[in-house]
Amino acid sequence: MSDPTINVRNARKSYGTVTALDGASLRVDRGETLGLVGRNGAGKTTLFKLLVGHETPDAGDVTVAGLSPEAGTALRERVGYLPESAGFPPSLTGREVLSFHARVREVAKDNRARRVERVLRTVGLADAADRAVGGYSNGMNRRLGLATALVGDPEVLLLDEPTAGLDPAGVADFHAVVDALATETDVSILVTSHVLPEIERLCDRVAVLEGGTISVAGGVDDLRQSVAETVSVDATLASDPTDVAADIRDRAGVESLEVDGHRLRVECTRDATFDVLDDLRAAGVETFEVTEPGLDAVFREQIAAGPASHDSASGDAAADGGERA
Amino acid sequence: MTTGDTAPRDADEQTAADTATDGGATAFADELAAGGHADADVDTAADSAGATVTATRSALRQTVRGTVEVAAREYRVAVRRRWAIGVAVLFALFSTALVFLGGSDVGPQRVGAVLASFAQVGVYVVPLAALAAGYDAIVGADESGSLEMLLALPLSNTAVVVGKFLGRAVAVGGGMLVGFAVGGALLVRYAGVGVIGTYAWITLAAVAAAMAFLGVSVLASALATEKTRALGAALAAWVWFVLVHDLVVLGAVASFDLPQWVVGAAVLANPADLFRVLVLRVVPTTAGGIAGVLTAADLTMTMLLGALAVWVVVPVAGAVLALNRRSV
Repeated sequence: MSDPTINVRNARKSYGTVTALDGASLRVDRGETLGLVGRNGAGKTTLFKLLVGHETPDAGDVTVAGLSPEAGTALRERVGYLPESAGFPPSLTGREVLSFHARVREVAKDNRARRVERVLRTVGLADAADRAVGGYSNGMNRRLGLATALVGDPEVLLLDEPTAGLDPAGVADFHAVVDALATETDVSILVTSHVLPEIERLCDRVAVLEGGTISVAGGVDDLRQSVAETVSVDATLASDPTDVAADIRDRAGVESLEVDGHRLRVECTRDATFDVLDDLRAAGVETFEVTEPGLDAVFREQIAAGPASHDSASGDAAADGGERA
Repeated sequence: MTTGDTAPRDADEQTAADTATDGGATAFADELAAGGHADADVDTAADSAGATVTATRSALRQTVRGTVEVAAREYRVAVRRRWAIGVAVLFALFSTALVFLGGSDVGPQRVGAVLASFAQVGVYVVPLAALAAGYDAIVGADESGSLEMLLALPLSNTAVVVGKFLGRAVAVGGGMLVGFAVGGALLVRYAGVGVIGTYAWITLAAVAAAMAFLGVSVLASALATEKTRALGAALAAWVWFVLVHDLVVLGAVASFDLPQWVVGAAVLANPADLFRVLVLRVVPTTAGGIAGVLTAADLTMTMLLGALAVWVVVPVAGAVLALNRRSV
């Protein structure tokens, strides 16, 4: 395996008596998109400060694109960062803002205007590029922030609550940009969001940061399946479902069953799902839908477990050379 | 990116941009993919002394370049917010009013009194304008989120603070020069071209004092947690330097037999007094009160100008340190 683009091993950071990071470990490989979720105050902001070189860890190792936080500006040359509270001078136009970022990031002069235009089109701001930013909506400001993160050709993209304040169409547009970056470039992307379906939608893997440590991490599907939660099966039958309902109700793992005309709603354990589906198929099911637990279930389980259960999942495992987020 | 990294990447990028036609997310992703990335090689560079020197020069060049970029942006914002025009109008009114109020019969006999008035009245106006122009430089950007965006760029904190100071300094200084020019033209009409040299000196002294107070306000801005607190600190600085400081000095001089160096130190400790003394030293008139006390201080022009320079550099350096400690 190649060196990870983002590599955090046992990072610890305290501010006075407050421990913000307590042995957090994670890695993001080249071209990978990792979602980072956690409650407010879990340490996400501190982790991002380490990743953009604004802070250095008290202990542990942090490297981004091969550089430690001590590299400061050299590190930020390789990182595109969209902070949660991105803002711009209201009297400047979107194009002026982006041109400034391009100049600071030393995009070649003969290609700068073209690149700025391209990025503006990518985020859907080409038509508003020459309007003052003060007249932009919140969603347009977020898209301009994304544009500033992209204009320097980053190796690493850090997106902190990127779709906060965007309308549904803006969210979809944003997702399309991230999808394109994720699938067609080798940019490594780290996304935080409180919108867990968004993390599921965008990310290859997800890590839960709780109490300053990574409490759990893995592929989105793997994590969902690791949660012992009830699966819902909604089905519509062509005939009277009374008999099959009785059969299903007697099966192990079935927790509840509701009948409404020709429709059934069954809640059962994941293991019982296939048996239930077999019964429904035998009874002549017309349509059915299985709803699995989402990342919110994973998140709730980790929160409920509390920080005490996290050590083995992050810091210690990393120290032992084990699998990390 | 280093210069060496950038060139091949941009060449590829140009090709990608030329051939792309849809302009959508996918095309942009293609462009990024075509660009590729530079390998991290700083460890290698650090292995030789020559490479270290090169890296140091590169860092210095980057800091200077970043400072200029931030300053240019800050200046543009200041102009858009009409600070420069406002300052120009303020000092045009100020200078023309002094010339008019000095009397339409200004001539060689009274020109000294008019010029001295620039020191006596300017000591109130110049600091106020400069402090007002700088108090939100850092904390205002922090509150709006634009500071975090700046710090996300490959810019050092020095480049951010010095750039913000320089951008505002050019806006304020330029406005002052334009404003003083209006009054100067009027003064030349009344008193003749012989007054130009002294008037130019007064103007430059006022601009230099404004730079010192701008530095103080940028420091207050970097230290403050809220914009309102920065404004309060700027106003407190104005009250201290313009009103209270001189009262304390005057009281001490009147009450005690102070050695001359104490008075000199008092002048050096206050950029408003430095401005006043710089002006009154070249104006052919006799000042009384605190002005008379201060101008009698045993200070050379070099010391006065050097002190003003220190009053610019130290607060700005302090603002850099404050930003280093600031949680953004």
